[in-house]
Amino acid sequence: MTISVKKVSLQRTTRDQIFLPAILEGLLTTARHFFKNTFTPGHGDVETIRYGEPGVDVKDYYPERFRGVHRLMHREDGSVRCVACMCCSTVCPARCIYIEAEDRRDDAEKAPRSFVIDELKCVVCGFCVEACPCDAIRMDTREHWIPTETRAEAVLGKVELMSRGEQSVAVQGGLGASYREQAPKADPRFTHDPR
Amino acid sequence: MSNHDSRSTSSTIPPTPGTLPPPSVAPAPRVGMDPRPHAPEGWAPPVAPNRPAEPTEGQETVTLTIDGKEVTVAKGTNVLEASGLLGEEVCHFCYHQGLSIAASCRQCLVEIEKMGKLQPSCQVPVAEGMVVHTSSPTVLKARREMLEFTLKNHPIDCPICDKAGECTLQRHYMAHDHQLTRVDVPKIRKPKHKDIGREIVLDAERCILCSRCVRFCEEIPGTAELTMSWRGDHEQIDIADGHRLDNAYSINTVDICPVGALTAKDFRFAIRAWELHATPTTCNGCATGCAVELHTKHEQAYRVVPRFDPAVNGHWMCDEGRYTYKELDPQARVHRAEVDGATVPLADAIATVATRLTKARKLAVVFSSSATNEANDALRELAEVLATSVKGREGITATRYVLGHPRGEGDAILRDADKNPNTNGAHDAAAGSAGDVDKHEAELALELAGRAYDAVLFLDDSGELSEVALAGLANITSVCLASRRTPLSSACSIVLPAASWAEILGTYTNRQGLLRVVQPAWRPEHDRKHRADLLRDLMLAMGLRNVATAKERTRLLADEHEHAELQALVTDPKAMRPTLLRWANMRG
Repeated sequence: MTISVKKVSLQRTTRDQIFLPAILEGLLTTARHFFKNTFTPGHGDVETIRYGEPGVDVKDYYPERFRGVHRLMHREDGSVRCVACMCCSTVCPARCIYIEAEDRRDDAEKAPRSFVIDELKCVVCGFCVEACPCDAIRMDTREHWIPTETRAEAVLGKVELMSRGEQSVAVQGGLGASYREQAPKADPRFTHDPR
Repeated sequence: MSNHDSRSTSSTIPPTPGTLPPPSVAPAPRVGMDPRPHAPEGWAPPVAPNRPAEPTEGQETVTLTIDGKEVTVAKGTNVLEASGLLGEEVCHFCYHQGLSIAASCRQCLVEIEKMGKLQPSCQVPVAEGMVVHTSSPTVLKARREMLEFTLKNHPIDCPICDKAGECTLQRHYMAHDHQLTRVDVPKIRKPKHKDIGREIVLDAERCILCSRCVRFCEEIPGTAELTMSWRGDHEQIDIADGHRLDNAYSINTVDICPVGALTAKDFRFAIRAWELHATPTTCNGCATGCAVELHTKHEQAYRVVPRFDPAVNGHWMCDEGRYTYKELDPQARVHRAEVDGATVPLADAIATVATRLTKARKLAVVFSSSATNEANDALRELAEVLATSVKGREGITATRYVLGHPRGEGDAILRDADKNPNTNGAHDAAAGSAGDVDKHEAELALELAGRAYDAVLFLDDSGELSEVALAGLANITSVCLASRRTPLSSACSIVLPAASWAEILGTYTNRQGLLRVVQPAWRPEHDRKHRADLLRDLMLAMGLRNVATAKERTRLLADEHEHAELQALVTDPKAMRPTLLRWANMRG
């Protein structure tokens, strides 16, 4: 592969030194866009994503694996899927997840009494989602954190996190005996040695 | 009635008459009450029935070869202990140094030459010239397949299991097995979260049937509440009909459970084990002074677990002692000095106390049997200082009392009826020179209520005084070195913030006369200080020089008792750093 070198002159011409032509060129572009977007029906060829305007869904513009604001998934009965195993709060490099566990008094046994995420501290790394053994926490809301007026508004509790959530299709507690049919093929490094 | 009840009543030993010399000035003692605690006659620490491999002097030894290395061990020990001496612990579930041998888990199988089959190393006594292979391919294969059987019906509900992070099954799985399950039939379901006792919850599914808990209940408290029921795949741990696992040592079963089958109600879902820091310290629940670990996070204590000490408690501790951490409740802590209800800087409070104490005409100092030796010694020094006349001030002899928690229940295993960790040390300090020693607390209460004193100094916040006495304290100069809000510390007119036993390096003298060490789990917050250092500040404020600090007193005690561990702690503060349990996954 050859490397080509292009020599660029840094000498300013008289036209550059006056500045006015360049300014006028810029204003012309702005004016062209202004008139086109204002008077053409259907907003013309506008390239800006307009947050908050009706009919515009920001989520359409984000890739599928975009990591946005956290949400907590639900069980079939609508209760929280999380079992307060603290894997996410342990792995969190920003230490922005605070969980307190309680007894659920049913077969699921354990649930979070409080589940708090400080979105201001969050570094959006997605480790919490990776660590979760229950598909309880997700970052697939495609909603990024919007600045708030107070810090307290950026601290999300269980109710706010669950309001973004929905029922997960994953089977609570794993697939059980039928995992062979349903699970993807296991990593050959961990399969049992043939005898 | 249950076996447990009959035993607990018969085994409660009445306080024995003292073998130690009585206090120098002996007041009329309470009837049947000896202030100084002693171990019951013929008592011995509940140490391991299994002989440790390390040979002691004069013991017969046996030499054998383990994995090509020759090792000389004590005669009578087993192969598992012997290989442990080489630093290669054979993985096991059912074997426990402090219990009889069941050899039921078959996890510790090893290959021994000239023996046809693989042998459970916990059950085979060492013999001269034995050649053992602990990690040959056959052994590793057997170990791995045993683990597969063990995991067959295990629910693998680690996310909701309290043992996760300190679980022996997890550890061995990661070390040996590490494979996906090959079982495609439904697992056998057993009772989950079953309430089996005052302190314990049973999850029969998680149980791997090692029978450690069954053997513990038979051998240590001798109550035998637990048993195995059903057979084969359906075998499970259970309690007999009408019985509950309610003995005084029941939470030990949680510690020795290699999985999360038995969990403690108190610790249930409180915190994950890997978040905790462990500090080796001493239980301050009674005069026995068991070696314990205090598990903490962010200046808050979560549980107390026993630490092996062959001289005092073996592997065990009582349930009562596990609740001593409740005293460290962050809500009740005293952080700042208070004079007549107003929060003041510590230096100002000390100056006020110095002025008022020197002006007092009738003074009482109250030693505490729940404070450390260092604090009691500093109070003795202060009383001596006050008793000497200096220019411009006549010395006053302070009346000395010893106050502590009221007596409770004791037994012949570990619990002592004296619920104070340092009764011996407090009495030694209080008897150092002339003065009334060990008056009945009620007598003190009456005298205080009757305004017998115009100044009282309490070394600690524990101790129960009557309401009349507490009311009397408000009108006189009453100083309390308090680490938490108690009726006593709230009644006193001056409160100095003292560090609790979880924040200081100090010593207790237990009922055997042994020096027991408490270590700091975290630094004292705000104005809180070691009691000996508070009293030192007070003596400095009185114009004294060269008063020993708490650390210097500890150093003196360590040298006096030739306590190597304590000497190391005093010289190297880094030795006191708590261990994060995440990196010490060796419990259970």
